[in-house]
Order: sequence, then C-alpha cells, then structure tokens
Amino acid sequence: MKKIVVVLLALALVLPLAACNKTEDPGKDPGTDPGKEKDTYELALVTDIGTIDDKSFNQGAWEGLKKYAEEKKITYKYYQPAEKTDAAYLDAIDLAVEGGAKLIVCPGFLFEPAVYEAQDLYPEIKFILLDGSPNDGDWSAGMPTYRIENNVYSVFYAEEQAGFLAGYAAVKDGYTKLGFMGGMAVPAVVRFGYGYVQGAEYAAKELGIKAIEIMYHYTGGFDATPEAQALAASWYEAGTEVIFACGGAVGNSVMAAAEVADKAVIGVDVDQSAESDTVITSSMKQLSISVYDGITAFYAGNFPGGKSVTLDATVDGIALPMESSKFETFTQEDYDAIFKDLVDGNIEILKDTEQTDAADIPVEVTTVKFVG
Amino acid sequence: MNTIFFILRQTLTFSIPLLVVALGGMFSERSGVVNIALEGTMVFGAFTSILFINTVQDTMSGQFLLLLAILIAGVSGILISLLHAYASINMKANQVISGTAINMLTPAIAIYVARMIQDVQQINFNNTFRIPLVPVLGKIPGLGDVFFKDAYITTYLGIAILIVSSIVLYKTKFGLRLRACGEHPHAADSVGINVYKIRYAGVMLSGLLGGIGGLIFVIPTSTNFNATVAGYGFLALAVLIFGQWKPMRILFASLFFGLMKTIAATYSSIPFLLNLGVPNTFFKMTPFLATLIVLAFTSKKSQAPKASGIPYDKSSR
Repeated sequence: MKKIVVVLLALALVLPLAACNKTEDPGKDPGTDPGKEKDTYELALVTDIGTIDDKSFNQGAWEGLKKYAEEKKITYKYYQPAEKTDAAYLDAIDLAVEGGAKLIVCPGFLFEPAVYEAQDLYPEIKFILLDGSPNDGDWSAGMPTYRIENNVYSVFYAEEQAGFLAGYAAVKDGYTKLGFMGGMAVPAVVRFGYGYVQGAEYAAKELGIKAIEIMYHYTGGFDATPEAQALAASWYEAGTEVIFACGGAVGNSVMAAAEVADKAVIGVDVDQSAESDTVITSSMKQLSISVYDGITAFYAGNFPGGKSVTLDATVDGIALPMESSKFETFTQEDYDAIFKDLVDGNIEILKDTEQTDAADIPVEVTTVKFVG
Repeated sequence: MNTIFFILRQTLTFSIPLLVVALGGMFSERSGVVNIALEGTMVFGAFTSILFINTVQDTMSGQFLLLLAILIAGVSGILISLLHAYASINMKANQVISGTAINMLTPAIAIYVARMIQDVQQINFNNTFRIPLVPVLGKIPGLGDVFFKDAYITTYLGIAILIVSSIVLYKTKFGLRLRACGEHPHAADSVGINVYKIRYAGVMLSGLLGGIGGLIFVIPTSTNFNATVAGYGFLALAVLIFGQWKPMRILFASLFFGLMKTIAATYSSIPFLLNLGVPNTFFKMTPFLATLIVLAFTSKKSQAPKASGIPYDKSSR
C-alpha cells in the first residue's frame, strides 16, 4: 500500500513535466532555462514584479511586442527576473542578450538602474524603457544621475491625463462620491490619482455641483487582499459610488466588493471591462500601441533612441475605452470634446512632481479624504 | 447601527476561514504533528476548487456548485497533507521542514498547472454563491443583519465544523485517542492504540479543513485566484496558538483577529474611530501584539500538546 502511494506521487510529479515538453513553443516559453537549444529570439521583454498576464501593465506591453512579432514572423520571448533587485533585472537582460535579442522591452520604472547599466554594457542592443528614464538609482543626493544613451528609448505616459479623463467622466456621469485606491505609491500611480481628483473637480465646476467627495488610499502593494476588499466594501457601505482601482490585482478585490454592494469600479492601464460587470470604464495607457510603434521604428531604421518622451493625449498615448464603457449620461461627444481640450492644451493638470500630497491639490468643490 | 452590522459581517469574512483552518491545525497538532503547511494546504485547496469552478461555471452555478467545490477543496487538501504525513510520520523527518516544503511547493504547482492549462496564471471565477438575503431568517433584526444578509453558506459550514470538531475532540473515542497521541504517544501505544494511524488521521483532517479554508478565503475577497492566500495560513497558526489548541478558544481568537483586521481595514469610514486619531497601524498590529502578550503571560502553563513536533519512534522509550 505504502509503495503504491509513493509510486503514484512520483508519477504525479513527473507527468506534468512530460506534458510540458510536448507543448513547447518559443512564444510562451518562460525562458528561465538558458541556452538548452541554439534558437535565438530577436525581440525580448523582461517583466518587472508583475507577470506577463497581469491583465495590466506587463501584459499590455507584451501584447504590443507579440503583435508585431507575429505579423512580421520575428522570433520573440519574455524573461522573468528571479527576484525584484537591480542585479536580477540585469541578469535577465544578460540572458535576453545571450538569447540573441536585438531589442529588449523593459516595462516599469523599477528598471531604471538596470537599463542605466545595460545601455553601456550592450551598446549594440536597443532598449525600450516604459514608465522610466535610465538613472543610477542613487537617491542619496536627493536626485539620481540621469543619462540616456542612443540605444535607449524611454517612454512616459501622461497618467494624470488618463486619470483626469476617468474622474471627469465619472462626475459627468452623475457620480458625486468617488474613491481612489492605488497600489504602491509609485510615480505613475500617484499621477493617475492626482489627475483623477482634478478631473472630478473640473467636471463639478462645469456642472455647477457644490460638493464632490473623494476617498483616497494607497494599499502599498499590487495584490488582491481581504484588507483591500474590506476597505472598498466599507467605502461603498459609507456611500462611495465608484472607486478607481489603480493597482494591478488590487482591482480584483475592489471588484469583489463592488459586486456585493452593487456599485461601480474604474479599471486601470488596460481595458478591464471583461474582468467584472462592475467596471464602468478604464483609465488606459496605450502600452501595446507604443511598444508596437517603437519596434516598427526600430525595424524601419529610425529607432528614436536617446530620447525620453511623454505620450499624452496629443499622440493618443492615453484613452478611455468608450465602446466598452457603461456610462449613462457621459456620451461619446462629451468624451471627444474633453479629449480635444486636452490635446489643445486648454487644461492644466498638476502632476506628482508639482504636488507632494493628494490633499494639497488646489481644489475648491472637491474634498479629498486621505486615508493613511 | 448599520455600520456595526456591516463591520460584523466583514469580520465573518475574515474570521470563518481563519477558524476553519485553525481547527484543522488543531487536529494535526493535538495528534502530535506540527503542521505549518497550512498556508500551502490552503493554496492547494483553493487552486483545485477554483479551477473546477472555472471549468464548469458555464453549465452550473449557485450553492450546488459551491458544495461540490468545497468537496474538491477538501479532498485535494487531504492529498497534499498526505505528503506531510508520510514525511513526518513514516520517515520521521523534521516536521517544520516538510511543512515549509509544502508551503513553497503548492503556489508553484498552482502557477505551473494554471499556465499549462489556460496560459494565464490567474484563474477567474464568477461569484454566484452570495445569498443577498436569506428568506425569513434575514428579517430578524440584528441577528439577521449579521448572519443572513449577503451571506455565504460557508459561514454556516464553518460554525458546523466548529461544533463537530468540538464534539469529536472531547466526546468521542477517536478524540480521546487523538489527544493521547499528542500528549504521550508511548502511553497510548501501550494500551493498544496505533499511533501512526491516529496521527495520519489528524494530519488528514488538517488537510481537509485547510483545503476548505482556502476556498472559503478566496471566494468573497477577489474575482480570481492568483496562487496566494496572502499569509492567512500563517495567521491561522497564530490563531491556533492564541486559542491554546482548544476549539472554543480558537473561535474567540479568530473572531478577535477578524474584528481587528476589519477595523484596521475599514476604520476610515467609521467616524467614531476616525475621530479617535489613532493611527491605522495600531489596529493592524493589535492582534499580533495581543498574541505576544498572551503567550508571554501564559507560556508557563501553555497548553501546547506535549509530544507535538516529535516523531513517534516505537523503539525509544
């Protein structure tokens, strides 16, 4: 009897391995085992602390890369760092280069120091750094040393504009009690939040609403936790009508709470309407489009290296997915009008670099209740 | 008043999984096997059952599906706990190490298998299990608001498990033998009890309850399962110790932990607590602080099973 159990357990461990060998294909290979075969992969993506299928940041970038590679029949692969340290990120980049990568996409500002080193180590390799600009990561003097070489294309997004659109649309659609639940207070998340507050304020003034209330909180992580669910549930219970869930899987906890309370959620980074019926819209960054465009430029021979750009409304870097949104009174015309105002530069939005605290954003009719 | 009912309802979503898992840990430890694999067991139980829900949710929904999922969670919890039982009972391995191994193994299995099957590590599920208002009972003022509004049958299951556990442990022959094996296995052996069998039963019970606890934990708190239960298995261990390995005390410990967790998470919408000006971190650390204090004062007469953690060896007397 004992022996049978042992044999069964051993089989249970071995069988999945055998199954895996059969389904190996270059696009999905996790890539943590280096150089077993001599295949090379021209396009590479190194993930940050999220995973390739985080339904958010990494996934957006990966889809852009995959789309280009599949259209043009170019080999591609992603690499996952062993841990979240600069050294591990650099190791993963080394691995990608050994694997024959000519262009490496690094999504996330956590890659700044790793790309800073890699740009000198591999001058012949091109890098697309999303949400960051290469620096030495030494903040002891207040600011690190920034330097960008000709092989790095650094892309920022105007998250404050994306957040602005979300806040504006929510208030225009009749919501007056809003919430913002960010993940870690990294610059991109902070910009989303600040834009959101100002968008709500802008719409309230347009409509002549006297009081808008925004609950504001950073959970400190990007995971779905019962704490996040309980907090969201308590906000909904206390009257909050819509919460902007701005932090990866934190959104799933907020959605779980919204389903119980029958209230609304605003998604982030990519169109999250498929995640839950409670998602009324998403504050999107056009990650896959900008990665796709960057790669296209690379193969066309005019890689925009050495530049740091901020993709905003003028180049369609941010958007709300109007076709999947569930607004009642906020129409496509309203959206086009406010979007045009953003493009024309008629609206000034403060960013995280201009304000240190969400409670300090100069607003008149909006009350921001910051929850520490 | 509504705020209080809301807090109590939220407390249940924290407390019930803690209660069930801690009771599981109790069976294992009172039989003499330390089980720190509770976290891994929860992950595994949640993984298989959520995967099951994901597969069949197009054709089934509601309470029947939930009951089937609970069954699957329990069975898979038992299977994974057999690894721990074999290592720590037959092979006399260090129980902490085999427990740790399971904690590391199960999230990896969950991610690996999920990706093999559906390319994506998160397993989505539709929550069709919530009961907005239980007929008749939901109308009872107070009690109805807490237990029969936005309720899950898992809450009642948790309470049933508590009662059954209590009876099994104190009122049955099996319970007596289990406790004997945890206190003095040689004495138990000398009167003809098969210590190995009893300990296997203890560990398997902890696997059963750990697996179910994992499912109960995930369902109300997210819309997908991402190979983690956020450290609640370890928290259940703390509840177990705080509850001094006794069912009723475990109930109070889990309610206490749950209440503190709820207050820490929701105090921003409770004007009374917000006005106190006490930082949020205070509420967050209260349960752990309380555990430390209670342990410090009761350690002399701590009720930990005496033979817990020591592999039983017939030949050593």
